[in-house]
Amino acid sequence: MSDIALSIPQSRVAQPRSATRVLRAIQVTCIFIIALVIVSPLLLLVVASLKDDRFQILADMGSFRAFWVSNPTLSNYAEVGHLSGELAFGRYLINSLIILITTVCSGLIVNSMAGFVLAWGSLKGRAVILAIVIALYVIPQESIIMPLVIMVSRAGMSDTFAVQIVPWVASPLYIFLFYQFFSQLPKELLEAAEIDGASFFRAYRSIFLPLSLPALATVSILMGIETWNQYLWPILVTQTDYARPIAVAIATFFGQDSIYWDRAMAASVLMMIPILGLYLAFQRWFVSSFIGSAVKG
Amino acid sequence: MVMQQSTSSTAVPVTARRRDKGRLMQEAAMLAPAVILLTVFLIVPFFLSFWTAMTNQPLVPRPTPVRFIWFSNFIRIFKDELFWTALWNVSRFTFWIIPAQCGLAFATALLLHQKLPLRNLLRGMFFLPAITSMVVVCVIWGTLFQYPTGPFNQILGFLSGGAIQPIDWLGDPQWAMFSIVLLSAWQAYGFQMIVYLAGLQGIPDELYDAAKIDGANAFRRFWHVTMPGLRPTHVFVLVITTIQAFKLYTQVAILTQGGPKSSTETVVHYMVRAGFEEQKMGYASAVSVILFVIVLIIALIQRQLLRRFDV
Repeated sequence: MSDIALSIPQSRVAQPRSATRVLRAIQVTCIFIIALVIVSPLLLLVVASLKDDRFQILADMGSFRAFWVSNPTLSNYAEVGHLSGELAFGRYLINSLIILITTVCSGLIVNSMAGFVLAWGSLKGRAVILAIVIALYVIPQESIIMPLVIMVSRAGMSDTFAVQIVPWVASPLYIFLFYQFFSQLPKELLEAAEIDGASFFRAYRSIFLPLSLPALATVSILMGIETWNQYLWPILVTQTDYARPIAVAIATFFGQDSIYWDRAMAASVLMMIPILGLYLAFQRWFVSSFIGSAVKG
Repeated sequence: MVMQQSTSSTAVPVTARRRDKGRLMQEAAMLAPAVILLTVFLIVPFFLSFWTAMTNQPLVPRPTPVRFIWFSNFIRIFKDELFWTALWNVSRFTFWIIPAQCGLAFATALLLHQKLPLRNLLRGMFFLPAITSMVVVCVIWGTLFQYPTGPFNQILGFLSGGAIQPIDWLGDPQWAMFSIVLLSAWQAYGFQMIVYLAGLQGIPDELYDAAKIDGANAFRRFWHVTMPGLRPTHVFVLVITTIQAFKLYTQVAILTQGGPKSSTETVVHYMVRAGFEEQKMGYASAVSVILFVIVLIIALIQRQLLRRFDV
């Protein structure tokens, strides 16, 4: 094959090359079509949220008009965006944002500090703690949720923001991810810092933490998605609107007999925006190899 | 040299010890928050769940004291037909979701693992369902599944020229679990896709070049280079998908409440109902212990498989 190809003049080689180019164009188009099909339910959601008539939404669903809105309106968003009232999702959205930001920020601090000590510390029993942390990863949230509900209700923590934040700040998975990331950095960094008189904490804060941007980004995204999408825990520990997150609010609203599809769609779109923003902000550093290394761990 | 060493060895310990002590204090202080939180909110409830499982603990405290009843809860669970239905349903779900979700994840990862225009945009599009909350997914798919005039039924009717009768996706015991599989696979494949992409990146290019020089065609390269290179990834993806599948809850709680005719009842849904509708916390904890044992067994199998593959 290659011998023949070599003997063909340049101009004739170009022919198959353009053929592969066409093939490639077809391939790329296919990929985009598949991506569109995958995303289409979400497009449908956004389009439907711009229709003011909930009966129209259902009537349109069976045709291509589901993807088209002739007179878009933001009235659904205005309706659900209020901070109080029957269909007010603004309040729940803010509740969720408070929970998200607090959980992720404190999670980044707590888990990265622990991961750093486990990677570079000289405490006795470090290896034991690391082994326990890895073992704890097997316990599913669902398996501890029953006693946890009793514990927090006895402690009078029901229906607060704290009950939705504090239990999920420390996580074996994220400690392990930070541990792995830190231990891949060169040891000389720590030695150099200590020779310069920096304390252990100072070395962590001023040298290692700034270098761990990929790890911070990955944990932010994973933890953010996890926190934002929590459903089982908040329905068990929130009884009133006070600290109820938007996921529970939408589900409750959805379960009613006469579903206001238009409002439900708008609330759902609103719920997607913050987490999409978080993903877009950090995706550059959402290094896939980072999760890949966890596969073998 | 010798002199220097001896002076330093007498001089260092005092300051070093002081510094070490300060350093150890710092280390302990940095480790403490994680250790305390994990102990209070993970280790303690974990052991409590074993204890609670052997009592008749109610949800709301009653005047009568909580009794220790040994394994009665477990015996009652194993005698409950609904539990076996739930376990069977979850197994069925697992059996279907693995090819659906992992297949989709693997296929999209293969598509995306090449030089493509707008690669990041594509990757974002494919990942979008994974960041969508399950509650939102239920709102969307709830409309898609509408009976009899929802989009799926319309498309099916159109494609078959009206030959296929509208299907009651969530209301027909024959179809309900299948529908849950569809929407679950769509929602969650994004994470597996990322894991597969990482796995593909981990295969050295030299292997492909060597295979090309040896005259291996695309199919053979896929079969003899890509697939063996992805063995640990396959095991990992299979295991996390299985574990996730056994924890199936949100979709079912929102869309079908375990129905119709218990065809979508799951272990976690059964647990939550026992604990919060029937207020039997001891009984629910026993279910959670069983769930943990199942997850543990799957994780142990993963370890064995990885050890065998990862030479």
